Amino acid sequence: MKKVSKLGASRREFLKSAAATAAFAAVGGLARSARGQSKEVIKIGQPTILSGRVARLGESSRNGAQLAIDGFNAAGGLNGRMLQLVTRDSKGRPDEAARVVRELINTDKCSIILDSEASSAAFAVQEVIRQTGTLCMHACSETTSLTADPKIRAANAFRCARQDIHDSIAGGQYAAQFVKQQGLKRWMICSPDYAYGRDVSALFFHFLKQNAPSVEVVSETWPKLFAPDYTENITKILQVKPQALYSALYGGDLVTFIDQGNLYGLFEQLTLFDPNMADYTTLEAVKKLPKGIHSGDRYLSTFPATKANADWAAEYQKKFNVPPINWSWQNYVGMTFIIEAMKKTGSVDSKTLADAIRGMTIDSPFGADGKITMRTEDQTIINYAIGWGVIIPNAPYLENIEPANWNVILELEKDWKKKKGYI
Amino acid sequence: MNLPALLDCVSSSSCVVTQVSTGLIIGMLLFLVASGLTLIFGVLGVINFTHGSFYMLGAYFALTAYRVSGSYFEAVIVRALGVAVFGVVFERLFISSVYNSNVLMQLLVCYAFILILDDVVKIVWGTDFQTMGMPSTFALPPIHLFGGFVPPFYVFLTGLTVAAAVGLSVLVNKTRFGKLVRAAAVNRQMLACLGVNTSLLYGAVFGLGSLLAGAAGALAAPVRSMSPEMGFSILIESFIVTVIGGMGSIIGAFFAAVLVGIIRAVGSIGYPLFTDGLMFAFMALVLLVKPTGLFGRKLA
Amino acid sequence: MALSGCLAVIVLALAFNNPQFADFVLRLTIFGSYALSLNLLIGYTGLVSFGHAMFFGFGAYAFGLLMQTERVSIPLAFAASIAGAAVLAVSIGALCIRLKDIYFGILTLAFQMLLHAVILSWVSVTGGDQGLQGGIPRPPFFGVDLSHPKQFFVLACVIFFGLVLLVRQIVESPFGYSLRMVRDNPERALALGLAVQRYKLAAFVISGTIAANAGIMMSLYVSGAYPNFAYWTLSGDGILMIMLGGMTVFLGPIVGAGIFLLLNGIITRTTEYSGLVMGIVLLSVVLGLRRGVLDFVVERCGNLGRAALFTRRIEL
Repeated sequence: MKKVSKLGASRREFLKSAAATAAFAAVGGLARSARGQSKEVIKIGQPTILSGRVARLGESSRNGAQLAIDGFNAAGGLNGRMLQLVTRDSKGRPDEAARVVRELINTDKCSIILDSEASSAAFAVQEVIRQTGTLCMHACSETTSLTADPKIRAANAFRCARQDIHDSIAGGQYAAQFVKQQGLKRWMICSPDYAYGRDVSALFFHFLKQNAPSVEVVSETWPKLFAPDYTENITKILQVKPQALYSALYGGDLVTFIDQGNLYGLFEQLTLFDPNMADYTTLEAVKKLPKGIHSGDRYLSTFPATKANADWAAEYQKKFNVPPINWSWQNYVGMTFIIEAMKKTGSVDSKTLADAIRGMTIDSPFGADGKITMRTEDQTIINYAIGWGVIIPNAPYLENIEPANWNVILELEKDWKKKKGYI
Repeated sequence: MNLPALLDCVSSSSCVVTQVSTGLIIGMLLFLVASGLTLIFGVLGVINFTHGSFYMLGAYFALTAYRVSGSYFEAVIVRALGVAVFGVVFERLFISSVYNSNVLMQLLVCYAFILILDDVVKIVWGTDFQTMGMPSTFALPPIHLFGGFVPPFYVFLTGLTVAAAVGLSVLVNKTRFGKLVRAAAVNRQMLACLGVNTSLLYGAVFGLGSLLAGAAGALAAPVRSMSPEMGFSILIESFIVTVIGGMGSIIGAFFAAVLVGIIRAVGSIGYPLFTDGLMFAFMALVLLVKPTGLFGRKLA
Repeated sequence: MALSGCLAVIVLALAFNNPQFADFVLRLTIFGSYALSLNLLIGYTGLVSFGHAMFFGFGAYAFGLLMQTERVSIPLAFAASIAGAAVLAVSIGALCIRLKDIYFGILTLAFQMLLHAVILSWVSVTGGDQGLQGGIPRPPFFGVDLSHPKQFFVLACVIFFGLVLLVRQIVESPFGYSLRMVRDNPERALALGLAVQRYKLAAFVISGTIAANAGIMMSLYVSGAYPNFAYWTLSGDGILMIMLGGMTVFLGPIVGAGIFLLLNGIITRTTEYSGLVMGIVLLSVVLGLRRGVLDFVVERCGNLGRAALFTRRIEL
């Protein structure tokens, strides 16, 4: 018995070492081939979500970044060196995102990371690049704490995306006038039950109440993210009978909510405020759009109403055959910052580029006044166009748009950060 | 946790009525899917994890059919049948080869198919979410019922589901086919010895189960948006329903589905952030007290 | 055993020069020990658990939370998390082992999803769906500084080899053989006077704590803890790993984990349709080979590999 098992053990050891060697050879081989290619090309690693329910986040992010890169390459690149985008699917899992970023940096030799992950995975990516020191531009995460919280912030990480807090300040200001005009005192919340839904809803009311203290949140309902069915939420709303409803639902969920709400005639009984309605994919999917929904703009080619914006949208549409959405412009601008820094410094070194990007202001069709600035103190963008208006069923989809006042936003943001202990 | 709101509701009759009807509505669709799952398990002894994907296929097929033909009814009927056919093929080719293997093999086959089907759907219909919209037959204002509103579409859905439940019961308990099916659940070999083509029977049962899931998907299409991976949540929920009701029991699935619907409706008032947890806790409770479920019989 | 020692040295030497390989080995130690622990339960004791990820997630969160208080040293947090996992395993295990066959599995799944729901809802503590943010602090202890990647790598490998040896001891001991009897013929075991339920519970607790350890290493590796660590997909992945590698051979789960990680990496690098490709690969293995890779290899290699008690086909 003993003799046989000893032989058995060594056979297994042999198998294990054979497997390990094969694994090493495979990985090593891949690494070697990647190294060979990176002589001329500058690689930008892009972890994102290409599968599952939010796959369009990945697609639009990739498109937006590619548009910027193609423009730069067509103009000669960085002294003849072309940019190459390496996009990889993390399926939205934070540990997979961390792995993908490590792989992009170590195996694929990417010099820069354009992080197009949703907020939970963005935190995971942040920890990886904090360790490696690689320049990272977060282009999709809207969670304020990613850049506002000094414990989470990193010197080599920037964010080029709208922020919960900016959106909510703007929304709160906008809604306050309707509270006064239409006496909308009783409000209810129906937002998806996850960090984004909770944060942005809470912030909205924080700022709304500052301007209109008579507002009262009489009830809340929190459907699960991606819930297929909102019946229990809708019936609860019908029971409570609020005058106004705030919802942070977006995309397919928002469409389902509106479709199901229409069955109950929900929107004839209250006014809906949702920051995410003005998005082309959502607008085109809703079959019966109720009247009088107030929405912030996620992205519209008609806001800002400039030729630059309309031209950009047309170029995007022509190249990718779909209209641009929120993540498209965010990734485009994120890449633009990186490209401008490269042009300015002539370098690909993470620290050099980071120093250049910090505090930079660029011309952009998506700026509130034609420019967007990367704020120095917390490395996130400000002065991008935010506007709220009323939804109409056909293009341009949003009318009576009121652009947000950035002076007010910055002031209120500063107060809020002080209260949170971030500054 | 919001106990005051919960107590408030319990004491108000209109609230109770609304919540119960909400629970019923949620439960009906869940029952359709769960009944297929429980049927397949009861007879074939297989937990069909791919069931959620059949639901998804039913929805997408219906979407395409509706876009092509413009008729909702044709879309539902034809496409549900399409899913059933797919189900039979799936069963013949793949599931049958793992009948006698352990449950892990079955799990792997189903999991592999979930992955494949999700990507196939992504390739054919794209990554963006799709919507069908309410067909004009049902674009009517809500009906007033006992102080609450009920959309006519849901009335139709409920009626159809109850009819399906009755039909299924009759099929299983009163017809010859049903007798064969019940016999196969007890002892397949014996039945084969008696000259019955059990392969065909198994295929038919699987086809019926998939038909139910596909029909549920097609029926729900007007009120829900579709995207790849939409099968997951319905799979988990119908699995919970099947376990609570008893694997193999149609009546059990019906009651459990309504129960789960009511838990969700009540949960959204009293425990808005923990409704999911409530459902799993209840499932654990049932398993601990009566593992075969509320209406399940002990398997032979 | 000498061979495995040599292997360890080779692995370490190579890893020091290639960060990508080091990453792979690190992840192999994490998922390899996770799969090994699951096979202890499924392969050796015959208890098919669908909810194993609950221990992985618990380990990661417990450790992460303790470290984020910044008042606990790493060894203490480690020990406390393992102890906590053991308590969890005893309580849940005691309830689950009362059920037989597939109902055991379903109940473990229910408990795991319950834990997942708690993690998601208890936002003030766990961070909800965004997980633990801000990183896991790594204060040095006993001269070891885990913020240096190389030191972390060495520690991970040492712990991994220790666990492999430990599990090997367990399955080769009388206790291990009793587990096999519980798996194959519980009535006979009972008749022989074995406290079958106690053995099942012991197996449950041991495998649970090893899985929790894997979770702790994962939380250190990604510097965080996320809800999907306790989600059913991770339980499913574990089952996949042991089936890919082979349940009847001791090292099967580890090889299976390695294959799984390699496949995952290669597929995501080469195609956008990772689900399609992975699904087809899985189908081919399941319907083609019908058993794990090592099972297959060992069977083909005939008598040499065959020690009757380990390589007999498992009937579940």
